[in-house]
Amino acid sequence: MSTDLDRAAPSDDFAGDVFVDGADWEAVVDAVSDDIITVNMGPQHPSTHGVLRLVLQLDGETVVNVKPIIGYLHTGIEKNAEFRTWVQGCTFFTRMDYLAPLFNETAFCLGVEKLLGIEVPERARVARVILLEFNRLASHLVWLATGGMELGAVTMMTYGFREREHILDLFESQSGLRMNHAYIRPGGLAADVTADFEDRCTALVVKLREKMGEYEDLLLRNPIWNDRLRGTGILDADNCRELGITGPLARAAGISWDLRKAQPYLGYESYDFDIPTETAGDNFARFLVRLEEMRQSLRIIEQALADFPTGSVMVDDARIAWPSQQALGADGIGNDPAYIRRIMGQSMEALIKHFKLVTQGFTVPAGQVYQAVESPRGELGYHITSAGTNRPYRVHVREPSFVNLQASNVMSAGALIADVIANVASIDPVMGGVDR
Amino acid sequence: MSEGHPVFDAEATGEPPSSGSDATSSMDLAAIERHVQGRFGDVAADVKFGELSLYVKPSQVLEVLRFCRDDEALACAWLADLSAVHWPAGDHSIQRQPSTTGWPEYRIDRAQGVIEVDYILRSHTHNHWFRVVVAVDDTTPRLPSVTGLYPTANWLEREAYDMFGIDFQGHPDLVRILMPDDWVGHPHRKDYPLGGVDIPYQNDKFIPPPSQRDLREVVE
Repeated sequence: MSTDLDRAAPSDDFAGDVFVDGADWEAVVDAVSDDIITVNMGPQHPSTHGVLRLVLQLDGETVVNVKPIIGYLHTGIEKNAEFRTWVQGCTFFTRMDYLAPLFNETAFCLGVEKLLGIEVPERARVARVILLEFNRLASHLVWLATGGMELGAVTMMTYGFREREHILDLFESQSGLRMNHAYIRPGGLAADVTADFEDRCTALVVKLREKMGEYEDLLLRNPIWNDRLRGTGILDADNCRELGITGPLARAAGISWDLRKAQPYLGYESYDFDIPTETAGDNFARFLVRLEEMRQSLRIIEQALADFPTGSVMVDDARIAWPSQQALGADGIGNDPAYIRRIMGQSMEALIKHFKLVTQGFTVPAGQVYQAVESPRGELGYHITSAGTNRPYRVHVREPSFVNLQASNVMSAGALIADVIANVASIDPVMGGVDR
Repeated sequence: MSEGHPVFDAEATGEPPSSGSDATSSMDLAAIERHVQGRFGDVAADVKFGELSLYVKPSQVLEVLRFCRDDEALACAWLADLSAVHWPAGDHSIQRQPSTTGWPEYRIDRAQGVIEVDYILRSHTHNHWFRVVVAVDDTTPRLPSVTGLYPTANWLEREAYDMFGIDFQGHPDLVRILMPDDWVGHPHRKDYPLGGVDIPYQNDKFIPPPSQRDLREVVE
């Protein structure tokens, strides 16, 4: 009588409880005390920026507690770097925060240069500043694009990625790669900038300045954008200080702190720019701060371009610099045919020197340094320990995404589930940086 | 100055001139050093590469950090970073190849292995920062948690526990953060090899960790 086929057939004589699709909703509800239920958001949720898992405790639609679970993207970059030379370290660290690769390279290289006691040539310094600020623009554009998309402003997504692609084109023309450049090296740059670098940058600044207005037109007075961002995800100055929050999140809470001003590196003290701050500390304030930071970055780039020095881009030290200045070839790979012809054909010593520098690298004096730079997400610090060998003894990275993500509970507790998306988007975490 | 912490001996390092980029502080590093030593007499300190390090004992950590946070002249309201370095016991001659730079080689030979935990304290008020270093025994590393002073240390201490096995006592939720929950070992310790997990590749072959790898075999 009771075969599977019979159970599937409609019947009128029920005996006992009836279950729909095997889920006993009443039993689930009865089992939870105080009507709090726990829901997983992620790791594959489309709105959690990569592989971030949020364990939400919900009372109806109100969030009681948010617990971020991270580590899904852990690749052991810090451990790997202990087994590679100092220059190879750039190749690893650039892959951490993949939206701000040049900041990772710069912070690491500044730390190594501090240990070596060298100063990079002026041309390399200014080129670094220009590329860093373009990278800040590219990173904030991705934030605008993905943040907009998550709140339904899909046009912003296409705009943001469209302009970012122009910046990545510039990076590709200089380093050969759109992302993960390994272009900034201890002692300077991997190769000199191309002859049309200044023209390209100038044209790009004009283009970006023009487009900036479009973002404001699209979002600033958009009622949905305002409703979703104003008054949500509030993080005040005290929260920021206790949780170690830096970058646009802290500046949106009224903390006027920017390492470029406070503890200048790369000669940032010689440029005229402002630190935008807001006092509301909500998601909308962060939007305004990031928007203004993009304008300030354009100002810095213009000033740097106005006085772009000539000369070498690598420190004049035969123990560190490769014996010849490499230029980017027509094939997009960093080997100039003229260079290879000269080295291979004429100078055996230079060839040996080059081989030793590439395979063994240079040694760095023993010691410990902490070098922090202002990345698009806040204080990016490299705590580098050298034991006097040709590879790092230990590198610890103070990742702003990692530290800032701790704020997600403070921002979202008491809010609605829908606000969690906006709040996490406004932190702008990059999971490659969080998990390393 | 730094007898308690012979990791970076002044003679051994052949210290190059510092870049001197931290000149913006209202209280110079020597004054901070004197100020802390005025309160804690047995705190060793040194300034290298333009950075001040204070070496404290594990039992002092909470007290020193509380002083640095609450003292008006220091006012280090921010814990910028917390990290650790493992220096194992024995003649730990670091693998190295002939150098092109020629700076003196550093050799470590110590009776007892230590894990050094570095706290980077930062003051926005006075725009200065310095490092507090505490060395703990690496067999049973144990330190008081500073989450009560700096809540931001929560995840940073979890990371240090995950990577080095340091037991931060009083931490509200000391569980692994980056590695899987059931992971065995603490990967950033020097006795933990790179690639310490057997990963089967094609034809059920196992590729050894890079440090034990014979490149000729891999190519074949």
